[in-house]
Amino acid sequence: MLPGVTADQRLFAETAERFIRSTCPVSTVRRVAQQEVQLDVGYFTEIGELGWLALFVPEEHGGGSPSGHPVLDAGLIAEQRGRYLQPGGVVGSNVAALAITLGGTGEQRALLDDLAGGKALAAWALGDPVGGWEASAGVEVRRDGAGFVLSGTKGLVQDAHLAGWFLISAAVDGRPALFLLPGDAPGLSVEPLAGLDLTHRYAEVVLRDVAVPASAVVGQIGDGDLGERLLQVATVLTVAEMVGAIGALFAMTLEHARSRAAFGRVIGSFQAVKHQLADLSLAVECSHAIATGALTAVQEQAPDAGELASAAKAFVGDAAIDVSQGCLQLHGGIGYTWEHDLHLYLRRLATDRVVFGDPAWHRERICRLHGL
Amino acid sequence: MSGQAAEGQAAGGQAADGQATGRQTADGRTAGGQATGGQTAGGQTAGRQAAGRQAAGGQTAGEATGPGLDGYRREVRAWLAANLDPRDDDAPARLRGGDAANLSPERVAQQRDLQRRIYEGGYAGITWPAEFGGQGLTPAHEEVFAQESRGYVVADLGIAGLTTTRVCGPTILAHGTDEFRRTHIPRMLSGEEIWVQLFSEPGAGSDLAGVSTRATRTDADDWVLNGSKVWTSGAYYADYGLCLARTDPTVPKHRGLTWFGVPLTSDGVTIRPIREINGSSEFCEEFFDDVVVSDANRIGAVGDGWTVARTMMVFERLGGDPDEAPRHAGARELAPDLVALARRVGRQGDPVTRQLIARAHVIDVVKEQLDAYVAAQAESGTANPNLGSYSKLAAGTLNPVRASIGLEIAAAAGVAWHPQDTEASTTALNYLNGRILAIAGGTNEMQRNGISERILGLPREPAHDLDRPFNELRHN
Ligand SMILES: Cc1cc2nc3c(=O)[nH]c(=O)nc-3n(C[C@H](O)[C@H](O)[C@H](O)COP(=O)(O)OP(=O)(O)OC[C@H]3O[C@@H](n4cnc5c(N)ncnc54)[C@H](O)[C@@H]3O)c2cc1C
Ligand SMILES: Cc1cc2nc3c(=O)[nH]c(=O)nc-3n(C[C@H](O)[C@H](O)[C@H](O)COP(=O)(O)OP(=O)(O)OC[C@H]3O[C@@H](n4cnc5c(N)ncnc54)[C@H](O)[C@@H]3O)c2cc1C
Repeated sequence: MLPGVTADQRLFAETAERFIRSTCPVSTVRRVAQQEVQLDVGYFTEIGELGWLALFVPEEHGGGSPSGHPVLDAGLIAEQRGRYLQPGGVVGSNVAALAITLGGTGEQRALLDDLAGGKALAAWALGDPVGGWEASAGVEVRRDGAGFVLSGTKGLVQDAHLAGWFLISAAVDGRPALFLLPGDAPGLSVEPLAGLDLTHRYAEVVLRDVAVPASAVVGQIGDGDLGERLLQVATVLTVAEMVGAIGALFAMTLEHARSRAAFGRVIGSFQAVKHQLADLSLAVECSHAIATGALTAVQEQAPDAGELASAAKAFVGDAAIDVSQGCLQLHGGIGYTWEHDLHLYLRRLATDRVVFGDPAWHRERICRLHGL
Repeated sequence: MSGQAAEGQAAGGQAADGQATGRQTADGRTAGGQATGGQTAGGQTAGRQAAGRQAAGGQTAGEATGPGLDGYRREVRAWLAANLDPRDDDAPARLRGGDAANLSPERVAQQRDLQRRIYEGGYAGITWPAEFGGQGLTPAHEEVFAQESRGYVVADLGIAGLTTTRVCGPTILAHGTDEFRRTHIPRMLSGEEIWVQLFSEPGAGSDLAGVSTRATRTDADDWVLNGSKVWTSGAYYADYGLCLARTDPTVPKHRGLTWFGVPLTSDGVTIRPIREINGSSEFCEEFFDDVVVSDANRIGAVGDGWTVARTMMVFERLGGDPDEAPRHAGARELAPDLVALARRVGRQGDPVTRQLIARAHVIDVVKEQLDAYVAAQAESGTANPNLGSYSKLAAGTLNPVRASIGLEIAAAAGVAWHPQDTEASTTALNYLNGRILAIAGGTNEMQRNGISERILGLPREPAHDLDRPFNELRHN
């Protein structure tokens, strides 16, 4: 957990963990992944009641955060969600709520009550199908009278199949813009993708000449700061989920090394294994540290928030692969089985690494943020 | 290297976790530290700021604040303006490497004078106990001084300045007698005594408890030292060495050790510089031939050297990477050394180079964040004292990567240059220095042993040297 958490935050995180363990533990996540059961939609209203979706919503719409630091509170939830591979696009829904809170019209704000309570979920369609995460990626916007026509494809939208609303990033005359569209907007379709991660599902959001009124714009066209803020929040919350997953995967592996015997001793007594575990734990601690710094900077809207968020994604994205690979290695044959939970983590981490920008994309962004 | 002697006691007086019978596990070694010294800009990040930010758990940190600090800050500002010279930010950093890197006697004398001025002004040893010449103030006060003095030329006593205040001083504070501390600590703070680490020997490095330099009692109840030490950073301009010696070879190795403060001007001490791979001669070897050391210079009880060593190793690891001291109060820069390099070779627009620059930057940021994170945990008081091994291992594994990145960006220009072009030679120098922290102050492998056993709780290495008398063991 983050150093410096308050008692309220601790309680919030502990309550979240208790809820997950009793309602949606990894064994349940697995059964959903294997399509033996459907995810109970009640899950979302329950997490709505727990406040996970209300953190960026103002009080008059049923929102609020325990510590008054919504990014940090959301980070604590994200960490728990990552540890237990929780389903649902909570990051996307929170970011959409933040967008509406910061820039939504009166009509759009009416949606906040449902988003805060988990009665409606929103997804953020930012990237294109081939790894671009600029606002303009994948979508073209044509002006049509007072309104707009959107066409193109957004890719890798997390749990789009659960979303009733889409926040769509695009560019109008080369200037960044955000649109809020209902899932049933004519011409908008969600096309599910097959993929590596079994715990989230991803989809393309295809826009075929979708006619959009001016009232669907969130914030001002050309307000790059709003999009930047959303990217920072989405990035650090994704990083926080990854840190939770990395920590759980490492703990599982350490436990395995302590109990698995070979050559008359536990494998965790061999220096070759100990040294690998030490290196992996360094990656875990570094990930935790940089995530903490990035969450804090984004919370404070510090001048270096964008840079730290990107550095965190770049570092943790790479560490996720190293830790996944190292943990699989130390498990030996059992780690290569479907039945073992290890691959659920490995799959999710390799995917989260890409969502909202892979390390290479964030590294290039760091250069640009520094004017290089 | 900024070498602010006033930064003092990094580890805040925490002693190592007690057991006197440590094995050859977490044995850190010398802070030998100056890491990537040649790196003109290494990670000159906003580390302290980040530390404040994390510790404050969500409050903006920027400047240390608190009751009494504003007044203190005003005093510091006024004193600095009246007593020190402003720093010229464009002045080239002193390189670690080449003959010119060694400190001349004149330069050492100048820096001692400067340090004395800071000491007399009341800004040396800010967190150190007042009864031993420190100021007895809080880390927040020290932070204020560090922030405010960034724009001024402070004393730089080189690597041995750091071993004095980051390792030797704190260890002596923890284990020296009152008399010894009253005599030596003020001199360490004022620049009058420069202390180096006489730990490693030709026959024992990682296995610190395996040292064989002998100290035997004289009839007058003093000691006679015989043996040799090696890789001692900065010994050629130092006054004292903190020396680990064997006082009883007939008992198991961890039990026959004792520490001494050895005046390096004593009869029978020979110091010879050793040339390093980078061409400079910063570390030295020392020979002790019947050197008489007063019993008053013993630090800790006879035979209890390993307890002291455990404390010393915690300080040594926390001593960290001296080049990380931020030089600018402002924003973190994008790997300035590498950006300058890329511009020089005309590759700042090349996507591969940009990826490399950002990789280096992420290394700088993650080290800064990890150090802040470890420091924040240490401040909580309940943290495992071995957590410093993470910072040490991060530096030991990431510095070499960063140094190689420079070589990759520079390509041909990194391996051959016009004779007068010292700027071009820094990439190669950084490459040569990249592994310093992977070896000095406890190798990466020793950190991995320590982390796996003392933090992760995995079984210890089988030991063949714990219960038998030292003189029956195989050693070099
Ligand atoms: C795809 C696949 C196909 C396979 N096919 C076959 C097959 O056809 N027939 C068959 O008999 N087996 C097969 N195996 C099993 C394979 O040979 C074993 O998984 C492998 O030998 C490792 O043994 P283990 O799984 O028991 O892991 P463990 O022996 O428990 O090892 C776990 C970890 O500890 C490390 N470790 C163990 N001992 C030491 C030591 N002394 N020093 C340092 N590290 C140590 C290992 O390197 C590993 O990282 C297959 C495995 C896989 C993944
Ligand atoms: C630039 C520099 C400055 C230095 N400054 C000082 C100084 O000021 N004072 C001082 O006293 N010393 C100093 N040193 C010495 C330094 O502390 C030692 O070099 C270091 O502790 C390693 O010891 P060694 O060289 O004897 O190598 P060894 O201990 O012989 O190690 C050789 C290799 O074996 C590995 N190894 C050894 N034991 C184990 C084990 N149990 N498990 C796994 N691997 C193991 C090591 O990790 C290393 O890779 C300095 C060294 C350098 C490079």
